[in-house]
Amino acid sequence: MPDTHPKRILVVDDEATVCQSIKLALAGEGYGIDTATSGEAALRRSDLSDYDLILADMMMPGLSGLDLLKGIQAKDPAAQVVIITGYPTDKAASQSLRMGAVDFLPKPFTPAELRAAVARALAIKAQAAGTKG
Amino acid sequence: MRRSRILRAVPDLPIRLKLILAFLAVIGVGGVASLFIGTRIMHRTIITLAQDKVRHDLSAAWMVYNEKLHGIFDVIRISATRETLRDALAAGKPARLAGTLEGVRRQFGLDILTLTDARGKVVLRARRPENSGEDRSSDPLVGRALRKEDAAATAVLSRAELLEEGADLADRARIEIVSTPMADDRPEAREDRGLVLEAAAPVTDDRGAVLGVLYGAALLNRNFEIVDKVKDNVFKGERYKGRDIGTATIFQGDLRIATNVLDEAGARAVGTRVSREVGRAVLDEGRAWVDRAFVVTDWYISAYDPIRDAGGRIVGMLYVGILEKPYLDRRDAVMGTFTGLAILCALVLLLILALLTLGITRPLRAMVEATDKISRGELDHRLGIESRDEVGRLARSFDRMTEDLRKANAKLIEWARTLEGRVEERTRELREMQDHLVQSEKLAFLGKIAAGVAHEINNPLTSILINTHLMLEQEDRIAPFRENLTLMAEETARCALIVRRLLEFARQTPPRMERAGVNELIERASQLLEVQAGVRNIKIAMDLAPGLPAIELDRSQIQQVFWNLTINALEAMPDGGTLTLVSRPGAAPGTVEVEIADTGVGIPRENLTRLFDPFFTTKSSGTGLGLAVTHGIIERHGGTIEVKSEVGQGSAFTLKFPAAKEGDPDAGHASETNPGRG
Repeated sequence: MPDTHPKRILVVDDEATVCQSIKLALAGEGYGIDTATSGEAALRRSDLSDYDLILADMMMPGLSGLDLLKGIQAKDPAAQVVIITGYPTDKAASQSLRMGAVDFLPKPFTPAELRAAVARALAIKAQAAGTKG
Repeated sequence: MRRSRILRAVPDLPIRLKLILAFLAVIGVGGVASLFIGTRIMHRTIITLAQDKVRHDLSAAWMVYNEKLHGIFDVIRISATRETLRDALAAGKPARLAGTLEGVRRQFGLDILTLTDARGKVVLRARRPENSGEDRSSDPLVGRALRKEDAAATAVLSRAELLEEGADLADRARIEIVSTPMADDRPEAREDRGLVLEAAAPVTDDRGAVLGVLYGAALLNRNFEIVDKVKDNVFKGERYKGRDIGTATIFQGDLRIATNVLDEAGARAVGTRVSREVGRAVLDEGRAWVDRAFVVTDWYISAYDPIRDAGGRIVGMLYVGILEKPYLDRRDAVMGTFTGLAILCALVLLLILALLTLGITRPLRAMVEATDKISRGELDHRLGIESRDEVGRLARSFDRMTEDLRKANAKLIEWARTLEGRVEERTRELREMQDHLVQSEKLAFLGKIAAGVAHEINNPLTSILINTHLMLEQEDRIAPFRENLTLMAEETARCALIVRRLLEFARQTPPRMERAGVNELIERASQLLEVQAGVRNIKIAMDLAPGLPAIELDRSQIQQVFWNLTINALEAMPDGGTLTLVSRPGAAPGTVEVEIADTGVGIPRENLTRLFDPFFTTKSSGTGLGLAVTHGIIERHGGTIEVKSEVGQGSAFTLKFPAAKEGDPDAGHASETNPGRG
């Protein structure tokens, strides 16, 4: 089945400006982008499992990105999550990947890096879906 | 008690005084003894000499005495042969000879000159021609002459006989006896008899028949001719202190009848008597007597001989005496000289002893002074006494002791000095350790801040970076601002780099330890550098010690350390130079040192202390975290990093890695203890 509908992406970051910037950077890519400024807010969304990709900030007040990852995986084991963080460490990266994040993107990043990461993640998702389907 | 106190004080005296006192005691005892003995010997010798002389003088006196006697004898014999005498006797007319005889008597100083006939009857007396007829044949000498024998001898004439010859003779012979101490008692108060030198000779006719006898005599009483002649001839009339040195006396019995011994009044001591002792020896026993004798007023060295008459009976004594005083004085003078010499010798010996003892006490005193000096710390003081005796040995031993003392002291001082050095060293180590601690704490604190700050800054940086890039993507619309936007994007990226480095530094990841050799890592770093070094005209020199012990390290972190340091070194040599990479064993076993040195611009002294502080940089482009990160990594490895630098000469970083822990080759895989928030 050809995947024609626009991909939906949820950006979760406690900094609204970061959410906004990401939204702007991906605007021209044809994605449907939503934002949430906390992990809790993200998890409360009823349509959480509808997102093709979730970009989650690792370090947030309240639920952290990794907590959110667990929560999302609990609702949708197939969810694709890219962890972004302003405190990029090897430890954080490996931990994220171990926990099932599809990628790890350290802040700050350029729109190109972001787009590449998103595209890669969606490609992995599509591949996984394709394998499944 | 007093004496013993003095003796007890002796040990307290100086050695020198002791020696001198001992020497004085020896000299004193020896000197006094030898003086005493010497005096005795000298006295005896001098007295013996004097006695020999006086004995000799007595012989001389005898010669004078006998000469006188023989003189008389000769006169008598020669006169007896006169023709006139013979003729007158033969003719029986001797009276006509009176003048002749008297002339002869006077001429020859005779007191008596008498002619007898052949029977011994006096026919003519020269002195008293009128008095004749007396029979003299009983006279021993006359008797012998009658028998045609010549004879001469000393004889004693009684007062009656003297009166016959002449009243004046009897008077001359008469001597009042002066009472004399030490003499024998004599009942009579005067001596009437006379002592004469008498000679007789026969007068014979042609046929040898005796016609008569001529006899003559000289009265010795108060006749000083002989004794004075003895004095003059034998003693040469010498005087000593107003007294005649030699005296002579003719005794009749024990009575002085002719003498030049003077009494206290200065008159001839005629009438005094000999001492009982002498009288007994000479008169009674007929011995010669030589000894000192007290003569009237003085002590004399005296010699007495008995005078015998023709019959051998002792009728008197001949005496000579030498005044003892000159001899005693001479003895005293000699003894004085002797004593003086002895004292002089003692003084000279004392001086020598003083010098000798000085030779002993001076080194001792020098030693005492040296002891004082040494006690004041002058340990370089030496006695330098070279003598080979006990004192010299003691001095050398003393010097050796001082030398040992000096060495020991020097050691002590050295020890104290190095102690100070060691204390300083330890203090320095402590200060360094403290500095390290401060640095570590500073870094840990900074790490925490950095983590927070990085996170906070990265968010705005994300927005800036994204939006700048988004603007750049609008190429046609931003043409005039392209350059500005590009600059903004680049600077934002640089901010991001700084934050990343800060985070790397703050990450404080414990190293993942494994055993590895540093040489391998150094070689890899140098390989990575080759291109850059070549471009910058930098030579890479490596001196890697083979067979270094493996140490525990985190490969990637240590690789980063080498990378940081070598890149820094290259950048310090903009005009080229030499990068030296050295590995070697450390001071402690199992440890390893790595040195990374350049010949670059060097680091100013004031920057050396801040070199490892985060954000300290002198480069226009750089985060200032490289060396701080390096420092942190090395610290977490339990090692140290030191830097030496000289401006214009270059810098050298020395890394010291600790030895690997025994039997724990996998120690590095400790789990992370401080998982940071995500």
